[in-house]
Amino acid sequence: MVEKKNILLFGYGNFGKQLYKHLSIAKHNIRIFSTNDAFIESAKEEGVRVEKINMKRNDDILSLGVNEASDLLYCAMNHTANNLFLVLTLRTLFPKATIIAISNSFENTRKLKYAGANSVIDLYEATSRRVVNILTKPAVTKALDEIIYKQNDLSMAEVVLDEKSKLDGKYLHDVDFKSMGVILVAIIDKELGHELIFTDHRINHKLDIGDTLVVVSQKENLERFKHFVNSDNIKRETIEQTS
Amino acid sequence: MKNKNSLLLKFAYYIQGSTRYQSIKGFFYNLLENDKYPYKKYFDFFMITIILSSVTLLVMDVKHHVPNWLDDFDLYLVTSVFILEYLIRLWVFSDIHKIIIEEYEESDFFDRELSYWTLFVKIFKNKWEYISSLSAIIDIIAILPSYRGLRVLRVLVLFRAFKMLRYTKSLTGFLYVLKNKKFELMTLLTLSAFFIFIAGIMLYVFEGDNDNPNIHNLFDAFYWALITISTVGYGDISPVTPEGRVVTMLIIITGIGLISFVTSIIVSSFSERLTVLREGRVIQDIGKKNSITVICGYGLLGRLVAKGLEQEGVEFVIIDKDENLAELAYTHGYHAICTDATQGNIFKQLGVESRVSHVLCLTSDDIQNAFIAVNVKSLNENVHVTARCSDEEIAQKMRFAKVDQLILPEEIAGMMGSVYAGEPVAFEVLLSIIEEKGKTQIDEIKITKDSFLDNKSIHDVDFTALRLILLGVFQKSEGSEDNFIFNPDDDYILCANDSLVCIGYASAIANLKRKM
Repeated sequence: MVEKKNILLFGYGNFGKQLYKHLSIAKHNIRIFSTNDAFIESAKEEGVRVEKINMKRNDDILSLGVNEASDLLYCAMNHTANNLFLVLTLRTLFPKATIIAISNSFENTRKLKYAGANSVIDLYEATSRRVVNILTKPAVTKALDEIIYKQNDLSMAEVVLDEKSKLDGKYLHDVDFKSMGVILVAIIDKELGHELIFTDHRINHKLDIGDTLVVVSQKENLERFKHFVNSDNIKRETIEQTS
Repeated sequence: MKNKNSLLLKFAYYIQGSTRYQSIKGFFYNLLENDKYPYKKYFDFFMITIILSSVTLLVMDVKHHVPNWLDDFDLYLVTSVFILEYLIRLWVFSDIHKIIIEEYEESDFFDRELSYWTLFVKIFKNKWEYISSLSAIIDIIAILPSYRGLRVLRVLVLFRAFKMLRYTKSLTGFLYVLKNKKFELMTLLTLSAFFIFIAGIMLYVFEGDNDNPNIHNLFDAFYWALITISTVGYGDISPVTPEGRVVTMLIIITGIGLISFVTSIIVSSFSERLTVLREGRVIQDIGKKNSITVICGYGLLGRLVAKGLEQEGVEFVIIDKDENLAELAYTHGYHAICTDATQGNIFKQLGVESRVSHVLCLTSDDIQNAFIAVNVKSLNENVHVTARCSDEEIAQKMRFAKVDQLILPEEIAGMMGSVYAGEPVAFEVLLSIIEEKGKTQIDEIKITKDSFLDNKSIHDVDFTALRLILLGVFQKSEGSEDNFIFNPDDDYILCANDSLVCIGYASAIANLKRKM
């Protein structure tokens, strides 16, 4: 299953709440911080512990005990200016940490990236694409609904080839993903660098240890696929029998 | 039942029941009066051409002799078109047969004799309403110049030019502005008349008795006063005495004030009116479209959606309560109307019954969105409504109001954030698919009847050669729910109206679409 992460979530406004909701479904360890007393109070009523923080004071933030290597820092303040300042502060204090920020426009995405966010989720960009798709591409809307937006069986996941992987040394075209019920969408081929490549059949990638496969699949098939990719011979045989 | 009325009455009922008669009358009504009727503009154009040609003939006739056939054209064709137009307008103005039936039923009810005289008076009164209207008077005067006996009547050809008012929207808009500022303009007019009166008399008193050879009578003095106060200043009459010059100086100063005052009133009235005129134009433009999407709210999200829809070539109009935002939408080159979308009126004008296909409620206020959604749904339940809302509790209420699609921006962001925590690479894939920033896109390809994919099994389609990743097939079937089949089996048979949902390079998708 998905690995549990330590997450520090800054901000408990509209965005923060939604992030908390989804992150807690995946059962990560989450600590929430907010500068706003009203938010902290309302969270208390909902039974969520939110800690007070003054983000202008470096000591406060340093005392949080951030582990730069493994922790994820989410910046989801309601005000863009605060969010930007927060990203900047975190980046100066923790140069190697992973920072994810929420932005509300293309403009602010650029600023947040410049301030040091590793990844920026553009709130309205994603939403507006969805609204446009509803009007112009019903099939795509339905497909994305099933795969991304609805909490159901179908999901997108990534699988990293470990040392024992059976796929090591094989070529993509030789692997029958379809019969395993998964669709391979993209790959990070370490030989070609860290770039994400959509597997639209142009290149017949050679799979190596450390490559990442991004697949879409039902949960059940996904588990089997993971076992198939990274497991010993005995397990693989059982999978081949069943499939 | 009075038998002697029966012939007239029968005729009235016959007309009432005749669909043929109604449709002919409807056609002429549309042609003459209905701005939304698509062929009206051709008729308008025809009338304007006729009017202009007639005015041109008048002007040409001043110095050159107009050939006889052209004169005949003016006399017979133009006049008959005008007379015909006048009569048809009189005809479509109201329904006589309805008056007859009404009158008959009333007399029948009280069991008294139907009097032809009152009937006639009623009909005449009804039609007189039309005859006495300003535009009808202009029409009738425009017909008169055809009588060549009186030369003075020739000038009345210019009344034909007035007829153009009826056929050009922008001219009526101008008249409306003047009408709107009637009070201000009348005040100023009275004021300037007063000044002209005073100044004229003063000049006449000072210079009228032979001091100034150009002023013969009071009319000259008033004429001078008007020319001076309006700052036109021909100079054909000018004051010669010091007293006269003092008067001149005073009325020049007043004149400058008056002129700028009038200008500012008209200009301000125009700018007030301009948005209304423009919005009228927008509604008129939309009237020509078959299907239109309405975006309510031009905030951050509205702007992005408008941009996206523009790229996809969807026709849309933006409604925002905020004047500044509506103005912004207009400067971005979109159809924009500044009004309250929670009111039914605007949707009725846009054609909620037929033309409006989608309404997107994208304001940042949940309550407003719900209000707009309910407003639209109550007018026409078949309009597809998409509403934005901020959390699940509100979403439930919206669903209760039968809103078709709900969008929760915060939820989308939250969900994506949580994907990142577990699977950062999958997140990158999602992001590039959802935001469509990269060259790789997700798109749908509809299978058309008898195309090369119709009736083929998935196995037979070479997606490798097409350079596409097939995610699934979307079945759209009449009656039943739309269905998305993820990763369909090899023996799945594709048929017309199925859509393939594929991921791939934009060019690969375009390639397959071309083949369709």
